Amino acid sequence: MVTALNHYLDSIRENLRLDRSVESEVIHELETHIEDELQELKEAGLSEEEATNTCLTLLGSAKLLARQIYEAHSQGSWTQALLAAMPHVLFGLLFAVRWWRGVGWLLGALVLVLGMAVYGWWRGKPAWLFPWLGYSLLPVAAAGLLLLYLPKGWSWVAIVIYLPLALWLLYSITVKTIRRDWLYTSLMLLPVPTIIGWFVAVEPINRLPEHWLQRIEHFAPWIGLTFLALGLTVATFIRLRKRWLRVSVLVVSGLLTLTMVAYYTEGRLSLPALLVLVVVMLLLLLSPALVERTLRHTG
Amino acid sequence: MAQRRELIKGSIDSLLLCLIEQQPMYGYLIIKELERRSQGYFRFKEGTLYPALHRLEEAGLIRGEWQALPNGRQRRYYHITGKGLRRLVAERSQWQDFLVAMNLIIQPASDYGEVKKW
Repeated sequence: MVTALNHYLDSIRENLRLDRSVESEVIHELETHIEDELQELKEAGLSEEEATNTCLTLLGSAKLLARQIYEAHSQGSWTQALLAAMPHVLFGLLFAVRWWRGVGWLLGALVLVLGMAVYGWWRGKPAWLFPWLGYSLLPVAAAGLLLLYLPKGWSWVAIVIYLPLALWLLYSITVKTIRRDWLYTSLMLLPVPTIIGWFVAVEPINRLPEHWLQRIEHFAPWIGLTFLALGLTVATFIRLRKRWLRVSVLVVSGLLTLTMVAYYTEGRLSLPALLVLVVVMLLLLLSPALVERTLRHTG
Repeated sequence: MAQRRELIKGSIDSLLLCLIEQQPMYGYLIIKELERRSQGYFRFKEGTLYPALHRLEEAGLIRGEWQALPNGRQRRYYHITGKGLRRLVAERSQWQDFLVAMNLIIQPASDYGEVKKW
């Protein structure tokens, strides 16, 4: 097939952002269509070049066609929406019903999150996987936080062992997710601004960890509520077809949950801190689009 | 032209279900068949056809299946499903009601006078 048509199909492939299996079916179907179209045009007396140009005109914009096919496939079922919302609901419940201090509940949640993340990863990375994947990275971040409380002189542990391992893990998972669809990286990172928001609002400086735990206990129902709101956001995201609506729902939810953190902590989160968190949230949710573009250009 | 596009847009699903019910078909054949049977009135672009086919498939109304042509080439044939058949029956009945109602309104005024006298 001529190069211009190959470029056209490459452009469709780049913009489809669907499961690999669906993507290859769509591309193969369009290839067969182009094959028939070219044959008919050539039989009608057109040269190879004329037939290619006519075929490209008939096909229309590659981006538009890819977007419309994406919208035909993008809507997840209610089961998928529920499955995707579950890690947020689970995390919310840990706080809302005060299970978070029970080691058994925490371990159970951890095993479930890791199990679902591994299962989804090997089952072709369906859309419901990414919220689970986000939470499965929490133990990595929590281990980093615990390193802050190490006795002086032990910081080399963080530098030599923890940092390279954690960065490698985060980088490889993020890049693989972005290659699938940058929006799924945003979905994966969705709870991060809320977690940072609660951490900043609740963390007392120069106080004992026990005092910190008491503060979490005090705000636990509200922490739970913000994560339940994230669960609702994710379910909505899965049910939406259009990309711009999906982006909007993530950004609005980020703004809403940060506002909830500021509201429920009654001024513990200052306005400048809130504004910085909003910027961090926008960066986290939207920067994967830029990374995707860079990855495409660098191959 | 824009009016015709709007009319077609609203009837794509019914047209596709109707055609696929009569015989399983692949994309290129659907475009040609629609154009032939409608004497050139329905000229679907690929950008209209494939998203519609994939939408119908996602909704479970049709099912795509790769089949080999006599020349050995593979084509993705679409078959109507039970759910698609039920939808088609409902849509046919709606279209018939719509056409009868449209004819009653659109027919020339003289016919209307005769109907009134009668």
